[in-house]
Amino acid sequence: MKILINLILFINILNAHPHTFIEVYPNIEIKNKIIEKINFIWKLDEMTSSMLIMEFDQDQNGNFDKKEIQYIYDYYFLTLIEYNFYTDITVKDKVQIFPQFYNFSSYIENNKLCYSFTIKPKLNSKDTLIDFGDTDFFVAMVLKKEFIKINDGTIKVSDLDNDFYFGYRMEFN
Amino acid sequence: METYNALLNQIVMAQYQLNSFISSTIRSINDENILSTSILILSISFLYGLIHAAGPGHGKALVALYFTSNKSDYKKAFKMGYMISIAHAISALIFTFGIFYILKTMFRKNFNEMSMVAMEISASMIICVGLYLIFSAYKSKNLKEEKLGKQTKSEYIIALSAGIVPCPGVMTIVLFCIILKQYTLGILAAITMSIGMGLTISLAGILSILLNKKASNFLDNKGYILEILGGVLILILGILLFTSVGYK
Repeated sequence: MKILINLILFINILNAHPHTFIEVYPNIEIKNKIIEKINFIWKLDEMTSSMLIMEFDQDQNGNFDKKEIQYIYDYYFLTLIEYNFYTDITVKDKVQIFPQFYNFSSYIENNKLCYSFTIKPKLNSKDTLIDFGDTDFFVAMVLKKEFIKINDGTIKVSDLDNDFYFGYRMEFN
Repeated sequence: METYNALLNQIVMAQYQLNSFISSTIRSINDENILSTSILILSISFLYGLIHAAGPGHGKALVALYFTSNKSDYKKAFKMGYMISIAHAISALIFTFGIFYILKTMFRKNFNEMSMVAMEISASMIICVGLYLIFSAYKSKNLKEEKLGKQTKSEYIIALSAGIVPCPGVMTIVLFCIILKQYTLGILAAITMSIGMGLTISLAGILSILLNKKASNFLDNKGYILEILGGVLILILGILLFTSVGYK
């Protein structure tokens, strides 16, 4: 009976598995222990990229022009607000509203679709944690220590212990 | 939960690496290496399917619930695992080729919308299977022979209801091959990936049969209670899937 009850609890976990992989490359600027700016570059896996590029690159010239980037921004990037951009910024155990982002751009690099955008969180690095992951577990965010650039201090990357999905945590030292 | 998370991490990372390896290998195909590279891609697709299905998914939940609550043998677990994966692959091939040739643009949006419709159909079918299993377990708790025929029918319905949702993993590989004009390789990769997925789903079924055997010994001749409970759990799974689609 216990096994069956465990199975009921497992139903919530058994819901999805990742089909899109996004490598996250953060470039962090810290001044006086305040996180002034983070530029994120997301690199989507080649298979998902090929599918999206087919739609985005209307003139099929291998580059995105202004109009195409605007389309990506309006119809794809902005919809990720619903998922908090797969990025939870936590200050003293409280998840923050995702900050205003700037300088969105999109381009193709080595057959991969890339998104680039900047946030200016102005948060104390000591109190801040940044978690990456998709609660629906349809997208897998991939963060490695070597992907991160920081101008001051060091970063610790750890596996995120969620109950229903897998993610990464970035901590400032 | 920590062990589960560590395992999940391993599964995700393995998929990430295999996904990247398959895409770069498909791109490297040329006239000289077509045979050896195709064999390599198909072998990796099998492994990818095996690992891909090891991640969370409603197919395994359904198979696990069904076999935990219904007496069956290992052969049937394999049969159902492969019926689900074949249905999964066929629907993925139909959806991918259909969307690509009919619509061409707005692929991902249409893919998402169509996946949701398929998920709703699947959830409705799972709800019906749950109701059917509860009704049949209650009605025929004393008529074991009559139940055998009904059980086979419900196994087909379960396989279809779980498999009707096209696997986005298979769809992505097929589409990637279509874009690179490797049509045959795309279809073959979908088939080998499905063979891998079928094996993993079958293993979930076998584990559930083992659980059922232990539970049946404990419940003695009141095994129908387990069957009713299994039906209720499958019903809950269907409702949860349906509401999660509605929520999105």
